[in-house]
Amino acid sequence: MTDRLPAATPTGPSFAQRLAKIRWTAIPIYVALILLAIIVLLPLEWIMASSFTTTETVFKNVLPFSFRALLPEEFTLDAYREIFDSGFGRAILNTLGVAIVTVIGCLVVGITAGFAFARFEFRFKGFFWVLVLLSLMVPYEATVIPSYSMVNDIGWTNTWQALIVPALANGTVIFLFRQFFAEIPQELLDAARSDGASWPRAMVGVVIPLSLPVIVTSSVLVFLSQWNSFFWPMLVAPDQDFRMVQVAVSMIGVSQQTTNWDLMFASSTIAAVVPLLLVLPLQRFYISSLVSSGVKG
Amino acid sequence: MFRREAATPYLFLIPAMLLILVWRYIPIIAGLRESFYSNGLSLTGAKQFVGLDNYRYLFDDPTYWESVRVTLKFNAIVNPLQVGCSLLLALLINQAVPGIRFFRTLLLLPIAISINVAAIAWGLALDSNYGVVNGILKMLSLPTQPFFRDADQAMPTLIGVVTWIGVPYWALFFLAGLQGIPKEVLEAARIDGASRFQAFRQIIVPLLSRTTTFVLVATTVANFTMFAPPYLLTNGGPSGATNLIMFDAWKRGFTYGDLGGSAASITLFLAVLMIVVALEFLITRPRHD
Repeated sequence: MTDRLPAATPTGPSFAQRLAKIRWTAIPIYVALILLAIIVLLPLEWIMASSFTTTETVFKNVLPFSFRALLPEEFTLDAYREIFDSGFGRAILNTLGVAIVTVIGCLVVGITAGFAFARFEFRFKGFFWVLVLLSLMVPYEATVIPSYSMVNDIGWTNTWQALIVPALANGTVIFLFRQFFAEIPQELLDAARSDGASWPRAMVGVVIPLSLPVIVTSSVLVFLSQWNSFFWPMLVAPDQDFRMVQVAVSMIGVSQQTTNWDLMFASSTIAAVVPLLLVLPLQRFYISSLVSSGVKG
Repeated sequence: MFRREAATPYLFLIPAMLLILVWRYIPIIAGLRESFYSNGLSLTGAKQFVGLDNYRYLFDDPTYWESVRVTLKFNAIVNPLQVGCSLLLALLINQAVPGIRFFRTLLLLPIAISINVAAIAWGLALDSNYGVVNGILKMLSLPTQPFFRDADQAMPTLIGVVTWIGVPYWALFFLAGLQGIPKEVLEAARIDGASRFQAFRQIIVPLLSRTTTFVLVATTVANFTMFAPPYLLTNGGPSGATNLIMFDAWKRGFTYGDLGGSAASITLFLAVLMIVVALEFLITRPRHD
């Protein structure tokens, strides 16, 4: 059976053939790649393996170091059970909800604004566009503290809107949609409008189906930024009812006592695995969106 | 272009522009305004206009200057380091060797992980007592290190952690830039007898100048605003060694209740950051000679 496997992929050379094609000059490249892979994977692997075992076993395998530290020896889910008992599941649901609503909101705002910038002529267009572009340059973290004061003044602390509404002001998404809409052939839009369809209907019927790639990339971008956001939710929504994943992780993490390492391992693993699962299949989409927003912007 | 329905573009723009004005621009102005007011802790609870008092108080505070010094030192090292390392990583994962796709996926994994998860993970891995790194050092009969526990080692360790999480992300942009260089150009250079290094110096580097500028500016912004690692790992210490300015400003506002001082610090910080970014644009601008 096994020797028939190569036949299943007649287009590609077999593994042995590919191995034979590797030139000797490539060896330093592989050495560098493998060394870097170890540096990238070691902490992640150790965290994940350690999350499935007890803190005592982790310490035992670290001092002195044994390669068993990289495997979940004496497998247990106790750490996961404990963090979920103390509200981590709630934080995951909160974050998923906030992220999904933010994604939808950003898409609506980005599609409408991007279309206006790409397809209409109107007064002050250049001025508005510069406002969008400049907003990309202002580091969001630098305005977190005054934004917090604003949220506090209007009584939004510990509310869903405090987590969602400011995140809708996303210049990158507007930029991505503008770039994409600028390339749609005019004839398509004319045809969509020739039967007297209103703009919103033409958008839903023709423009949005065309822009599926940008919709996917923007969604990943916005979802990740909400899943990974920390400073803002820590300030505006520390309450248990509104707690976001990264805040929950850091609350376990900041109390760095040697007794609750297993909880830190488990919560960090969840916080890391969800975006990894999202990015791995969509890595190409995600990369292209980052690149187009960055290099041109 | 459509001109007839004059209101349509404005209707399409209203949500976006309102959001951007309110949540991107007004906070800057609000912060500037707040920096001229007392922190509202007076008996009446009302904020009073205090002119430049918050700035004066800040300038008299040695902790503030120490934080400025630490932030500038951190950035002077970490930004060029990240730009250099991410260019090298991009060159490496752009090599046409079998299996490169696998390594590319692997080495770019950290882009999905948040900086605070990275900080927590490395904080545990570099723990002076039970960290896996010290375990490995011990196995190799090397002396164990205090890492974040030592005033001299905390900053280099922080730079290492931030570089680990940052480099794969910035390498993406260089990778895209490299893939945008036509193969014929490099081929022609090789035929003309240029060495690999010459091709790198005289073709790749100039063609990547826009990407380099972008990455340099973006890393600068990201690293000047670094907050989570000192918050989660070092609390700014030991003895102020990792007291980065964003963390210092947060502490002023939220631990000491001095929102005015915090706003003054952020305002100054934004001004300095803009100057630094403008300088970076000037320095890396392609020269036409």
